[in-house]
Amino acid sequence: MKLSKIRQSHYLLPDNMTKKNFLDTLGQEFIIKQVENTSEKIAILDSFEWALYEHRILAVRHDNQRISLWFDEEDILDPDEAHTIEDINARTRFWWQLPESPERDILKKLLDLRAMYPVYEGLLRTEQFNLMDNDGKILVFCQLLTIYRPENSRKAVFRMARLIPVTGYKTQNKQASELIKSLGGFMPRLSPIDSLLSALGVMPKPFNIKPQLDLDPQMSSREAASVIISIMIDKQRQTEPGIIKDIDTEFLHHYRVALRMVRAAVAQLKEVFPPNDVIELKQRFGALASETNRLRDLDVFILDKKRYMALLPPSLRDGLLPMFNDFEQSRTAEVRRIARWLASRAYKKEITELEERFKNNYSALETHWSEQPIINLAVTKIQKRYKKIQKAAAKITHDTPDQDIHNIRIACKKLRYLLYFFGSLFNKKQVKIAGRHLKALQNHLGIFNDLSVQAEFLENYLDETEHKSKKDIMLIASLGGLISSLHTMQLQERERCIDALAVFSNKENQRLFKETFVSEKTSKKDKGGRK
Amino acid sequence: MKVIASYSIKGGVGKTAASVNLAYASARAGNETLLIDLDPQGASSFYFRIGPGKKQKKGFFFNQKNRLLKNIRGSNYKHLDILPANLSFRNFDIMLSSMSKSRKRLKEMLALLEDEYDLVILDCPPNINLLSENVFNAADLILVPVIPTTLSERTYEQLIRFFDNNGYKKKKLRPFFSMAQSNNKLHRQTIKEMESRHPNFMKTIIEFSLEIERMGVHREPVLAYANKKSAAQAYRKLFNEVVSSLK
Repeated sequence: MKLSKIRQSHYLLPDNMTKKNFLDTLGQEFIIKQVENTSEKIAILDSFEWALYEHRILAVRHDNQRISLWFDEEDILDPDEAHTIEDINARTRFWWQLPESPERDILKKLLDLRAMYPVYEGLLRTEQFNLMDNDGKILVFCQLLTIYRPENSRKAVFRMARLIPVTGYKTQNKQASELIKSLGGFMPRLSPIDSLLSALGVMPKPFNIKPQLDLDPQMSSREAASVIISIMIDKQRQTEPGIIKDIDTEFLHHYRVALRMVRAAVAQLKEVFPPNDVIELKQRFGALASETNRLRDLDVFILDKKRYMALLPPSLRDGLLPMFNDFEQSRTAEVRRIARWLASRAYKKEITELEERFKNNYSALETHWSEQPIINLAVTKIQKRYKKIQKAAAKITHDTPDQDIHNIRIACKKLRYLLYFFGSLFNKKQVKIAGRHLKALQNHLGIFNDLSVQAEFLENYLDETEHKSKKDIMLIASLGGLISSLHTMQLQERERCIDALAVFSNKENQRLFKETFVSEKTSKKDKGGRK
Repeated sequence: MKVIASYSIKGGVGKTAASVNLAYASARAGNETLLIDLDPQGASSFYFRIGPGKKQKKGFFFNQKNRLLKNIRGSNYKHLDILPANLSFRNFDIMLSSMSKSRKRLKEMLALLEDEYDLVILDCPPNINLLSENVFNAADLILVPVIPTTLSERTYEQLIRFFDNNGYKKKKLRPFFSMAQSNNKLHRQTIKEMESRHPNFMKTIIEFSLEIERMGVHREPVLAYANKKSAAQAYRKLFNEVVSSLK
């Protein structure tokens, strides 16, 4: 039966309970037949962002051979309810390494560029019993699930019994439940996934690169800037182990995003720090960022390999392969270099020193802005930035040089960061709307920029390498094709940017920014009331 | 939800064996399956080790959904439930005749289970009466086991006439040869003749087999205890054929 199915129940069992206890107790009322008894090495998998956990999905890798997924947490670890992905190995981490299946499609959506990696490793014993009457009719299905630490296969760290009722045998199910309770079994208060993870001592800490700030509008500007920078440095540092282990490319990407926000905070809120400090901080954070440029460029190219290939006619596609081989080799070397750098004493000293400076309110001489309430600085900055974009947009024509569009893109990015930093100071709903308009514009500007960066990267690659053999001629032809199609795409995107800019700076959006980013939190409704 | 019936006017032709094994095959394929044991002798229920339900008050079967669901029992296999036979089923006919729209009551009752099951299999008693007519209305496909003998042939033709005379859809009827003996010349001949006269015969033939006879000892479907034997394979083939005819 589908809908009227009685829910199964779970019981956490005391660690010291033996299997004999368990069987003897249930044996008082039932004839027990063990139908399954497997023991295997398992790893619970998730991404750095805990994307699976956030969606109440459990992924378990068994014996490095297959992955089981449970989409309904009531069913976790039940072999009969698992969605299985076969043909994997210990190194399978990304959705695109999995064989095609509906499960893969779901993981694709949840993981995107993220890897899944073990958050817990241990041994799982799965035992299934049929609880029957004298006729051999099954009255209740029972599972006993035990997880042991890999280094100590005797000591159970998690022990759960699950009763799966059989339609029409409610009384017998209740009987079994009472027997398990008499063994000290209890129904956990936490949900099944949470009780599993907490028994294993695994604490999910979902990571989000966007700062979740809640600033007090009256906080001094310098303190607020220190809080923002501290939070971002902390996020930057959280990504370091993932970069060193080269788990996926998002770690480095987020490292750079966090660092970029730190630099944006220093540069855009420069008034709160002494001018000399600003020069020094910019230089030091900038140096960290530039270390990672090359690896990020390579990552972006390699991730886009399929897309590049698709841009070329089939006859030219193979010509690109030597270049990608080159990139992959360079990447391996670059990853190693970055890992060494991040682990080096010099880097650690530098980053902790910077970190310490912002931890408890940056201490330096007062400046004109440093002690003023942050709300005032936020309003000034956001309004100024929006007006600048609006002005620049007004001047855009179809003959405007590309450089001007790039400048607008940078201005938009600055505005985006200001909204990240200070959004919580204003009316939430309106900030969200403003953010959405900005995002729409940034998407086009981003594509426009990526296309020109990519074309430039390819041109440099063409310049830097010596080309003689016939293979190289194919590569040159392919690159030529690629660069020209990137150029065509860029021209098209340019038009879209101009349209999006016109929308972003129209009367309606001007009013939205004017009304949203003000010193007093007001909503449109309140304002209307006062008028 | 689809409804198939295993039906024959004659008894002892392999109706229950077909019901039980098709129900098992369906559940194994992941379909939520309900086997309704309409035969008061309760052979289907016996094969699944389920005793006859408590004595029900007359008319319970044709009452509301909850009371119906209450009597359903899970089998020993996932996705397979049984509505066990009950001796009071014997009174169906009398009961039905006293009700209005009495030829469509079973169909209406099964409609209540629409959200619960993918496939319902009706194991019918050997008879032709008001209950049978309810079955003819309710089923999307009626499987008729036919032993390849002259007598069975006559009974099958009797059924066709009944369908003709009473306006039931003949295309629902899907006979198949049951308990056939390939070394019996008469059987072989009858099969050939009937197949040419009735092209709606299923391709699968269920041969007479000791494996099937042993079901009473094992109290399990053949597919469960002799999965690899030819009898099991034949039922699996029959199930696949049923599925493709239902499409």
